[in-house]
Amino acid sequence: MESVVLSVGIDIGTSTTQLILSRLTIQNKASFFSVPNIVIAKKEMIYQSDIIFTPLSQGYQIDYAAIARFVGQQYMLAGVSKQSIGVGAIMITGETARKENADRVVQTLSQDAGDFVVTTAGPDLEGILAAKGSGAGKVSLERKVPIINLDIGGGTTNLAALDGDQVLDTACFDIGGRLIKVDPMTLQISYIAPKIQQLIHQLNLNLFEGTILRSTEPLNPILDVFVQVLENSIGIGERTRFFDLLVTNHCFTRRDTDRIRSISFSGGVADCMMQSENRQPFVYGDIGLLLGKRLRHSKIYRYKQVVTPQETIRATVVGAGSYSITVSGSTIAYTPDALPVRNVPMIKLTIEPMNGNALGLADQIKSGLEIFRTHGELTNVALYIVGLKSPSFNQLQHCAREIVSGAHALLDQNLPLIVITEEDIAKALGHSLFYNLPQNYSYICIDRINANHGDYIDIGTPVPHTTVLPVSVKTLLFSN
Amino acid sequence: MEKETHQSSQVLSDISEINLREQLLVPNSHHLDGYMKMKSFTPARLGLWRCGPRYKTQSILRFRADHAAAQDSVFSYVDPDLIKAMQFIAIQTRCRSKDEYLTRPDLGRRFSTEYAEKIKKHITHPPKIQLVVGDGLSSAAIVANIKDVIPSIKQGLNHYGLDCTQHIFVKYCRVGVMDQIGEMTDADVVCMLIGERPGLATAQSMSAYIAYRPTMGMPEMRRTVVSNIHAQGIPPVEAGAYISELLYKMLRYKKSGLDLKAVENTD
Repeated sequence: MESVVLSVGIDIGTSTTQLILSRLTIQNKASFFSVPNIVIAKKEMIYQSDIIFTPLSQGYQIDYAAIARFVGQQYMLAGVSKQSIGVGAIMITGETARKENADRVVQTLSQDAGDFVVTTAGPDLEGILAAKGSGAGKVSLERKVPIINLDIGGGTTNLAALDGDQVLDTACFDIGGRLIKVDPMTLQISYIAPKIQQLIHQLNLNLFEGTILRSTEPLNPILDVFVQVLENSIGIGERTRFFDLLVTNHCFTRRDTDRIRSISFSGGVADCMMQSENRQPFVYGDIGLLLGKRLRHSKIYRYKQVVTPQETIRATVVGAGSYSITVSGSTIAYTPDALPVRNVPMIKLTIEPMNGNALGLADQIKSGLEIFRTHGELTNVALYIVGLKSPSFNQLQHCAREIVSGAHALLDQNLPLIVITEEDIAKALGHSLFYNLPQNYSYICIDRINANHGDYIDIGTPVPHTTVLPVSVKTLLFSN
Repeated sequence: MEKETHQSSQVLSDISEINLREQLLVPNSHHLDGYMKMKSFTPARLGLWRCGPRYKTQSILRFRADHAAAQDSVFSYVDPDLIKAMQFIAIQTRCRSKDEYLTRPDLGRRFSTEYAEKIKKHITHPPKIQLVVGDGLSSAAIVANIKDVIPSIKQGLNHYGLDCTQHIFVKYCRVGVMDQIGEMTDADVVCMLIGERPGLATAQSMSAYIAYRPTMGMPEMRRTVVSNIHAQGIPPVEAGAYISELLYKMLRYKKSGLDLKAVENTD
């Protein structure tokens, strides 16, 4: 049993848009004598597009036609048809996510770009996908050490702390290479981002849009703050008073991230860090090179172990293309008519080890569902159940009955019942649900999914020649 | 090692109650988290530490306890009350003792006419699916898993509009018995649940051997196997659900073992 699936990753960022294609090989890793264990065994990037400027029309709208043209062109150049794209993800990041037609653009594009292309957004997810796409996740997995990746782009720095496959924490700061733009010819400052204007004001600096920089020196206090905040963010040094100003949504929430020793950099500025220090500092029309140089000499290199990434400027798009899709467990149960499922929120329900019969689960589900009721109507919600570690048959029956009784509100509206578990139990649980549900009722029961309360999930139709479903879990865990 | 001192301060009635994956005997390890993480990936006995060139007493005792459990599971019998409670049709192979069972595998693959009559009396029509439970090399595996596996198989079969009734229990059982049962009952599919040879990691592991219309002397490649069924491996209820799907597929394709794999791959 082996299946090859083409995956697309599209990153529509503040300043640039890019696309990659990767080939995912899905294989049964178990021996002939065991229950199948189907996993994504190989991920190979087979095509990367040029990096284009994100096309905008009238400044406040994304030019959908131009993006669609770009995607079509890239498919042609890569020699693939839209029909051959099995899975993928579209990521809309930074400023672009706030354009008034952003939602519509990604929704339409996800329908147009391939079979099961999901939409993703949010600084936390961006950091996670960049960390995975840069190769930091692989390093962590291979060396069995936790790692923090700092994806330093034009507008923001997205941090993600990973331990192998597991996401420990995320953070985001308004630190980036294009927060100040400088004309490389005239050396005149053409743009200063609002937050940086505040910073300049607080630092009492004499810098404005229009100032001509005769040397790079006037920028030093700003760069110092940037570097210091980034050092602080991973636990180096006393927190500067500007730390809170530069936080986008939140810094790391776990204290022990300070102890993580392995650090990697990705994003455009990571690219700048590796370039010769003798280049004209404003050759890119921004402060990316200067920031890169500063970071190269920062305390991060002295106190931490810096790992060289595989991908820098493409980390996010590679993350979207290769790491946003996983597969479910191999022994699962569902009715085909319930698929695919897009953007369904999950509520997490924990069955404590002492409560084998899952008493109270129905009530937990009922109250969990109420949060999602608007104007008396429910939209579908997936029930994510953890703690079903090798239950007895009777315990499983209790659990299935609790679920069906708790999900009454969903059943009333004839919404497919979606149950997701962490432990390998979905086929048995699915059969029990089937037994307890009304006849011919649509349901999905899949396992081996790691998720958190409030995450969103997409579930696709089966990967050809396998028994698994492609799944994308979109975490919003760390946002407020 | 706070945990260890805690343990030594009270009486431990059974040393095998300690979860080896959570116990590290290395004192003052440099990288406790890393060590524990490594241990979580394997049932192997890592981090036992030593006294001079030898194991510590605790490690030796545990090793002997686990070895004894493995031996016990081979030499013990499935409780007759369980066999009765599950309403199995109980038969026995040509072996007359555990010693004979261990030394004469050939006798463990056949049963005498006396038991053939007993089966015929209970199973009068050729069943679609015949379940057979065998003690095999671990009675403990049957005791631990059978009450969860069989109802799960039945619930799964219900999902496919199928059922099975009248299960046979075989004492001194080897896998080959299922072929004789298949020929005798004229069942379409025979599924044997049998105790696996125990190891030091677990004595409770069970396998399912399933074949479409098995016949005596048929090639082994016609059997589909699901192994490693126990609480720490494939959970028994999940294994039961998976087995029910295999049974359904075998009836649909009229094939098992490698032949079934082949049609599945082309399907």
